[in-house]
Amino acid sequence: MDGDTIDGRLVDAGSGLIDRRIFSDKDIFEQEMKQVFGKSWLFVGHESQIPNKGDYFTSQAGRDAVVVTRDSDGEVRVMLNVCTHRGMPVCRYDKGNAKRFTCPYHGWTFSNNGDLSGLPLSTEGYGGQLDRKKWGLIQARVTLYYGSIWATFDETVPPFEDTLGDMAVMLRDFMQGPDGEDDGLEVIDGILKFEIHSNWKFGAENNAGDLYHDVSHNSVQRVGLALSGLRGRHVWNADKHLFKTLNVAYPAGGHAARVNLYDDEQREYHPQWAVIPEVDEYFRAAHYARQERLGEKARLLNRGGIVFPNIAYNSAGRWQITMWVPRAPNRTEVWKWYFVPKNAPQKVKDTLRHYLLRYGGPSGMVEQDDIENWASAQVGAESAAANRLPMNYTLHMGQARWAWPVPWFGEGAYVDEGVSEHAQRIFYAHWAEMMGGPVSGQETGR
Amino acid sequence: MMATIGDPSRQGAAPAPTLKERVEDFLSYEGELLDERRFDEWLELFAEDARYWMPLARNVEHNNLEEEYSREQQDAAWFDEDKKTLLQRVMQLKGGDHWAEEPFSRTTHITANTRIENAAETELTVKSRFIVYVNRREGEVRLFVGKRIDVLRPVGAGFLIAKRSIFLDQSKLLFKNLTTFF
Ligand code: FES
Ligand SMILES: [Fe+2]
Repeated sequence: MDGDTIDGRLVDAGSGLIDRRIFSDKDIFEQEMKQVFGKSWLFVGHESQIPNKGDYFTSQAGRDAVVVTRDSDGEVRVMLNVCTHRGMPVCRYDKGNAKRFTCPYHGWTFSNNGDLSGLPLSTEGYGGQLDRKKWGLIQARVTLYYGSIWATFDETVPPFEDTLGDMAVMLRDFMQGPDGEDDGLEVIDGILKFEIHSNWKFGAENNAGDLYHDVSHNSVQRVGLALSGLRGRHVWNADKHLFKTLNVAYPAGGHAARVNLYDDEQREYHPQWAVIPEVDEYFRAAHYARQERLGEKARLLNRGGIVFPNIAYNSAGRWQITMWVPRAPNRTEVWKWYFVPKNAPQKVKDTLRHYLLRYGGPSGMVEQDDIENWASAQVGAESAAANRLPMNYTLHMGQARWAWPVPWFGEGAYVDEGVSEHAQRIFYAHWAEMMGGPVSGQETGR
Repeated sequence: MMATIGDPSRQGAAPAPTLKERVEDFLSYEGELLDERRFDEWLELFAEDARYWMPLARNVEHNNLEEEYSREQQDAAWFDEDKKTLLQRVMQLKGGDHWAEEPFSRTTHITANTRIENAAETELTVKSRFIVYVNRREGEVRLFVGKRIDVLRPVGAGFLIAKRSIFLDQSKLLFKNLTTFF
């Protein structure tokens, strides 16, 4: 590896083959931090975490620690959690409310909008000459999208909506409540943070659309987790209407969603939370409200997906965002936000919270087995002897179609039906492109 | 046994264990059941209305300690279980297809600093500290240290766990999975 460009043979998305080294090589990792994470809009949190002026929480934009505030004027700021004097983190708490942050080292003090408001020895030491404008906290560009907060420190990255492209259909839908109302979710207080000894891309590619790995979840299917009263982990299994299972990828931005597209826009509600009638009532009403509000787009059941590169989301009763904080080729910190519909009754919020806590993360009956997979895959990625064979992503090649089967997925939607590694191929094609490598083949959509 | 020396009436018989000794013995036994993967028997030690809760820990300001742990019945948590969902977890563990615990990890549960904080007739509040060592497959090691508060109900000679609160001394979980009971 020369560290500048990726040899086309490392990622041959066109033929579905990917060299194991992209999961283990240190130079590739450093390069992707610069060229992928450094050149992308990154999710850092949600507005419901900071409802009041002065509220803040700390987060990560890739490897960069940030503090996210609602400043005294009510504006959302994302700032590097690094003192501009000599580098200390200026905020050492996970969350709180503050007018200012004082660096523990030499006492430089920053307002919650990042301005350098306090400077010890300002006159005696700096002769009143230090340019306070220049030495405020380093500010990210910020975009708010239906409640979600996105940031980048790069000035050249196009606006968020441009990099999102037609994936907007999916992300906007995810941020809606079950009744189809925009910005309909709020965060359950408490972000889960944990660490996996694996490359960040294993979690990302899985969430992009790995409908092939059902065997991993056999144990939870057997026990049952959904509150529909049926076996299994997904409440929507109780919906008996006909649908297509689709892998909807958006090659231009590397995003993807796993969705059900129901044949009919007007569908009668089949109880998905039947175990708790009060909760089921809420979802029944929400179901019809959503059909009313969204019309044809109510055919969509957005199960989950990824916004390239740093998050995966799960939807459809399991509202959550999983954020990758890459620390090393074989070490990823994972942060998890759980959401409930803002306007739901408390009983619904409580029920969802219990379901979510049992579903995701290191204590989740579903994701424990995903996490085991990702960590185990790292072993194979680091095997020198295994390197003679690339990783195989050839499942269901060559059948994807553009802007199909409904035009409102967007012209940028490249869609494959059923169990397929289509979304993974798109993910790696986009990754390789950002890394500066040649990409080819009809599978990549180019 | 030393206490019985010179006491002819107690010759050969152990003194009746104190409440504290009975509680300690119960907590040791419980850990033993987990370490021996006797999950069903472990579950039987919980009351039907039991709660099992492990909040998240957060880094907060010194004057804001009430927010250090995520709030019960309101916020996110590592675990927030009742007996029914604990049973689901046990069923998942035992099936041989829960890959995060197949093969089973080796665990050792150590309970220490046990102190009865409150002993009413029907319920005891017991504080303790735990060290849980987990060794998974070959090289994987997880070390969990923290505090527990148990509410125990005396039943016959033993106890039932009515509530267990587990305060892990980690804000970010330093490991990938929490497939162990505490
Ligand atoms: S490093 Fe922050 S004031 Fe010196
Ligand atoms: Fe999975």
